This record gives sequence, structure tokens and C-alpha cells, in this order.
Amino acid sequence: MARFTIRRLIELVLVFFGVTFAIYAAVFALPGDPISSLGGDQPLSPAVVERIRNLYHLNDPLWSQYLRYLGHLLTGDLGVDFRGRSVAERLASRWPVTIRLALTAWVIQVVIGVGLGLVAGLRKNTWIDRGVLILTILIASVPIFVMAVTAQLVFGVKLSLLPIAGVTDGWPTSYLLPATVLAIYGLAAVARLTRGSVVDTMSSDFVRALWAKGLSRRRVIGVHVLRNSAIPVLTYLAIDLGALLGGAVVTEGIFNLPGVGQLLFESIRVHEGPTVVGIATALILIFLLTSLVVDLLNSLLDPRIRHD
Amino acid sequence: MKRAAAVLLAATVALAGCSGGGDSGSADGATKSISFAVSDPVTLNPGRQTIAFAQVKELFASLTFVKSDGSVTYLNAESVKSSDAVHWTVKLRPGWTFHNGEKVTAESYVKAWNTVAYGPNAWENSGQLVNIAGYDALNPAKGKPTTTQLSGLKVVDDLTFTVTLKSPDGQFPVQLSQAQSGFFPLPEAAYKDFDAFGKQPIGNGPFQMVGSYTENEPMTVKRYDAYQGPKPTVDEIVFKPYTDMTTAYTDVQAGNTDILFVPAARMAQVKKDFGDRAYVFQGLGMNYLGLPLWDKRYQDVRVRQAISMAIDRQAVSNVIYGGIWEPATALTPPGEPGTPKGLCGELCTFNPAKAKQLLAEAGGFSGTMEIRYPGGSGLDDLYNAYANQLRQNLGIKDVTATPTTDFPEFQKLRNDQKLSGPYFSRWGALYASQQNTLRSFYTKAGGCVNCIPYYTPQVEQLLAKADAQVDPQKAIEGYVDVQTAILKDFPAPPMFFEKYTYATSDRIAKLAEGAGSLELENTTLADN
Repeated sequence: MARFTIRRLIELVLVFFGVTFAIYAAVFALPGDPISSLGGDQPLSPAVVERIRNLYHLNDPLWSQYLRYLGHLLTGDLGVDFRGRSVAERLASRWPVTIRLALTAWVIQVVIGVGLGLVAGLRKNTWIDRGVLILTILIASVPIFVMAVTAQLVFGVKLSLLPIAGVTDGWPTSYLLPATVLAIYGLAAVARLTRGSVVDTMSSDFVRALWAKGLSRRRVIGVHVLRNSAIPVLTYLAIDLGALLGGAVVTEGIFNLPGVGQLLFESIRVHEGPTVVGIATALILIFLLTSLVVDLLNSLLDPRIRHD
Repeated sequence: MKRAAAVLLAATVALAGCSGGGDSGSADGATKSISFAVSDPVTLNPGRQTIAFAQVKELFASLTFVKSDGSVTYLNAESVKSSDAVHWTVKLRPGWTFHNGEKVTAESYVKAWNTVAYGPNAWENSGQLVNIAGYDALNPAKGKPTTTQLSGLKVVDDLTFTVTLKSPDGQFPVQLSQAQSGFFPLPEAAYKDFDAFGKQPIGNGPFQMVGSYTENEPMTVKRYDAYQGPKPTVDEIVFKPYTDMTTAYTDVQAGNTDILFVPAARMAQVKKDFGDRAYVFQGLGMNYLGLPLWDKRYQDVRVRQAISMAIDRQAVSNVIYGGIWEPATALTPPGEPGTPKGLCGELCTFNPAKAKQLLAEAGGFSGTMEIRYPGGSGLDDLYNAYANQLRQNLGIKDVTATPTTDFPEFQKLRNDQKLSGPYFSRWGALYASQQNTLRSFYTKAGGCVNCIPYYTPQVEQLLAKADAQVDPQKAIEGYVDVQTAILKDFPAPPMFFEKYTYATSDRIAKLAEGAGSLELENTTLADN
């Protein structure tokens, strides 16, 4: 176990360097000059552009820029963006929003998704099962921005129940609508996965043996079926949490939530190299860590899974 | 739920107003507060802001002020006068103060302008001061400048200073108006820490900051009681940042925000959604279809004229902008005084038969006509419509409209002359003078805003002649001469006079039109 963890951590470091360099190079390779676009519609005078380019070493070759960036990064300094704002501070102000949104959406997914999946799996081939199937497929096939805009119109404009944009009303009010929209997509997958897993487990030999032994329904399902169906669902949920934490670009954009996804989108649009790499690095770390946790968790749940 | 909370809050505020006294609330007790949807301003330092026009306009007062009819009035200045358009004397109104009580003096302006123009600072609005004598010494091509002062500025007394320009410019007073924030004054307190000042500026305008600005959070300004200019009708303005203006649109529909500048993507439906709560104001935006004059196929003037006459501007506006944008008939927008509407004549009038004939006379068009425009800016419908019109009305088989990845890429392709077909070209003027639009499009020094590029000595000379006029009427005649000269060569078709469209919640009874924007501070609230 310890060896496995260490190996994964070493991999993590390698991935870290590879990814930061790849992203840095990608942003560097984007056509166009981010500085001349700083003024928006107004043209900046060439002298101002040149001075800002020098200030950020944009005229240096890629490798020198990357090394300089890496050097700062290793001392914990994420640098400043082209407007002189600290990237670390900007990120720090964005994380709480994304974390709140992700956790809210995730909890909705777990409760409703697993719930629906269980009901459908235990009532295999009844109208409830088919109803859940049709409903989840229908929902999952609606594009997310259509869902988001419709939700805004219905719950925000027509019914005036929930705020449409921003986080000024705080948690949970401001997050209910975006989190629900975000959760709906994962929800379909969680429900289908849970159902499939439950159906598989129910028809496996050991469950039949348990029924034959005369165990109560409650005990068979509550202890044995649930635990054994949980592994694929849990893996999915953990990876999904990682993805949610990565920021939901579309949802954060439409609901005007100042989260990490939105910052990433804006930064790519204006070619903010330092900010993009800063966010990407953090996201990679989150993703690698969640998958590490999933692997460890799986081996705890199912001793047959061995890592060596 | 939210509504109830808002009502409760309003009631509490009203109660506090009645019982407490001493509060800055108006006579009837309630604070007249409005909210306005904006993009995140980044900085509120007037010398550096490029997207915080609405905010700095309320926090600072400019020397002159252009009204919605294009007339120039004085605001912080008592007069801005010159007899030769080169030497200007600016007299300030007495008794004006910054929000911290500091007096607004000639020094507040001169020191601020020196700072904005000082090369090593690299402030974004530095270019606005380029015509002041001594600007070049502060911005040497190489190395550090040897001085920190603009040689063209002299403080005469507490309330008077003189400005010497590099070349005669009768439009100087208009350049000192409300959107040219590079000319705003700065208080002494600003110089201690410009980063802090950019978050919590101390201005000389009708409103002062409540707290400081934090990225992506609503920002509030309240009325400054010692303000010496015209008294605003509202007590408080809340600027609410949105990254996506279509979200802001929905939020105004829901009544959560009061006022917004309607994004292009919603213009076709705004009148249906908002009825008489939609306002269409005269803009200072001028929309062209740029043409690649570096490409052989566009060098015959008849080809360029044919393209212009083959596009039914009114039909395009009806479908995409709900008929709000006005087909262009001159080279400058009507918000700029003296714009010769109709000067373009039949060249800007839809006439497919004549267009085809002109193109045939010029020898037709070979190959693909590739229209390019910046992607991700909601421009797809407009340029696809142009492509369809050119295909149908000119009989060119292959007309494509392709977006670039983003604005920086478009800018690069255009500046490197790598575009081979018609392209996006527009400019929203910062001050209401034909000079601003003509300079931006037709002079090299204009910064190549959406460079066509069409620069000729004749245009330079005619512009300089018009600029040298101190008499506004003579200047206008001069600028019309410039337009007539340009139209002879017809470098690129003018397409639309852009209109600025606003929508409000039902809390607002009336919006006040401004020059190329709105006068947020003079909004009338509904009585409820």
C-alpha cells in the first residue's frame, strides 16, 4: 500500500511538470498579442504595448519564460496577470465559489442519482424502472445551456423564486439553481450506473445463496447488495467530484458565478498565460489526488483489488 | 422570497431615514438607488481604465461635458479658450473639491496629466494626451525619459493652467469631455499607492465610493454632497459585474438589476421583451465592412462600390438587430455634430442591378471571397448575413464567413495584412467629434483601430486643416470636406450607424440619454 502510494506520488510530480509545460507552450503558441488587446476597443500606443511586453518578459523565448515561471512557482509564487493582479489572490477568491457549487451539485447527484438507481435496480423491468430510464435519457440529451437558460426563465423570471445570477445572496440560495442544473447531467449517469450495478449484484450467485440461506430482504439488500454494488458507483462519484471541482465553465458563465471555470475561460480568451497555467496546475493536482483516493478507497472496499 | 427580503430591507432603510436624520437620504426618506449591469472594471484609475467608463464618469468630473445633442458645455472648467488652436488656457470653476475634501486646483490636473503621459508608467490611456507638447520627450523610443513633466503644461495660478499643443487642434475642448478619462484630475492621495487608488479612487465627481472595489463583487457609489456640478437625481448607484451580458439581460427581466446595455445577441428581441422599457439612443459607434486594399482583387474602386451596393443594410438590421441599427449614409455617426447624413448617396443605397453592373465593368471577381471576423464576440449572424447578401446579389459563388479563434488572432491577421477578404471593422468614438472617427480610421497615428488601411497625404492635409479651425462650424465644414475626399476613393463601405440600446426593470420610469451613452446619474425612478 505504501509503495503504491509513493509510486503514484512520483507519477504525480512527472505529470505536473509535463502538463504545466504543455499548457504554457499552448498558451504561448496562441496567435495574436495579448497586450495589444488589453485596451479592448481602444488601441494602446505601441510604446505602451512594448513597455508592458518587456515588463512581463514576453519578448523572451518560450523556454526562458517557462523556467522563470517554474522558478517562481516552486517558491509558491504564482505570479501576476497582465493587469498586475496577483494570480494566487484571484484564484483564492474564486475557489470558495467553485467548491460550494461543486459540493452542492455533488450532494444532489448522490442523493437523487443513487436513490433513483436503487429503486430502478430493485424494481427491475417494472414501469418505475422504465420511467427512470426514459427520464434520465431525456434529461441527459438536453444541452446544458438550454437547460440553464430555461431554468433561469422559469424559476427566476416567471416565478421569481430564485436568483438568476451572481452569488450575492450567498449559499444556498444563489447556488440552488446552478447546482441543480449541473447535477442533472451527472445524475443520469449515476442513476444508470447504480441500477446496472444493483441488477448485476442481485443476479449474482452469492446473492442467490443468501436468499437460499433465508436471510431477510433487508439484510440481503441493505448489507450485501449495497456494499457490492457500491464500487463502480463510488469510483464514478469520486472522479465526478474531481471534475466538478475543476469548475463548470458553461454553468458558471450562464449563472454569472465568479468561480474557477469562469476565470479559466476568461483567461484563455485574453491569452493570460500565467493565470491559465496556475489554474490548470491546481486542477491537475485535484484530479490526480482524487483518483489516488479512489484507488485507495476501492482497495479498502474490496480486498480482492490489490495494488502491487 | 428575494422580493420579500428586498421590500423588508427597503422598509428598514426608509424607517432609518425617517427616525435617524442626518443621513444623506433624500426628502421622502428612501434612498433612490439604481443598479447597472457592467463588466468587471479591472481598475478604476481613470488613467488606466479601458472598460470602466460608466464607473469613472460618476466618480470623476471632466473639464468639459458633451450633452446628448452633441453640444459642448463646461463642467469642472469655467472656460477652455484659445485663439490659435495651439495655445489653450483652462480656467477651473472655484470651490470644487475631491471626495476627501482636497481642493481641485490647476495642479491636480497638470500633475495627473504628467503622470498619465509618463512613458515608464505605461498607463493605458496615455495615448489620449499624445498631442500635448512634450509628450514625445516623456516617451522616447529607447531608454528612460530625461524629464517627468510635459513641457506644454504650465500652472498659471490656483485655478488656471495653459496647454500648448504640438499641432493646432480646435477640437481640444471636446477631447476633454467625459469619456476621455486620461484627462481627469487626480488628488494628492492617489500618488501614494496607485494600486489602492485603482480600487478605491477619490474623485471630483458627483458620486463617491462606498468601501472599495473587489473583483467580481457589486460596487456601490453614493452621492457626494459637496459636489458643485449639476445635482444628480439618484442617491446611489450599484454597479453589478456580469461576465455574460445575456445573463444580465435575463436578470433585468427578472427585476434583480435595473439597467443594462443590451448585448447584440438580444437586440432582435428587446422591444418584444421590454416594450417601452427598452431605450434606443444615438451611439458614437461606426460600423464598416473593412476591405483588404492590399489584395489585387479589391483595388478597383468599382469592386468596392459594388460590394457596398449589394448589401441591403436595412434588411440585415431588421433580421439581426430588430431594425435598431441605422444604415450608414456617411463616414461618421450622427452623434458627432455636423455629420453629413446622406453624403454617401447611392453608393450606400441597396441597388443589386447597379452593383452587378459595376462588378462586371471591373472585370468580375475571381476566387473565393473570404469574410473574416473575431470569433466569440456574437458577430456570427451579422457576417453570415453579409456573406449571403453578397452571394445572392453579386452572383459570386463562393462567399464564406469564417470567425477567427478570438480577438487577438483577428488583430494579428489584420495588422499583418493576412486577410484576403472583407472583414470586421468598427470604432466607437470616445468624444463626439467627427475628428475622432476620421482619425481612428483614416490616419496612421489613429492607432490602426480597424485599419483598412487607407492613408493618403490628401486626407492628412484636409484633416489638419479642419483640426486647425477654432470655430466649430468651420471645423465641421472641414471634416465634411475630408469625408467627400475619402468617398471619391471609397476605400471601404460604411455599413451602420450603431445605436446603443438599453433596457430597464420596472423600477425605472425614464432613462436620460447621454452623448454616446446614458446619463446614469439622471435616471428617473418609478414611484412605488
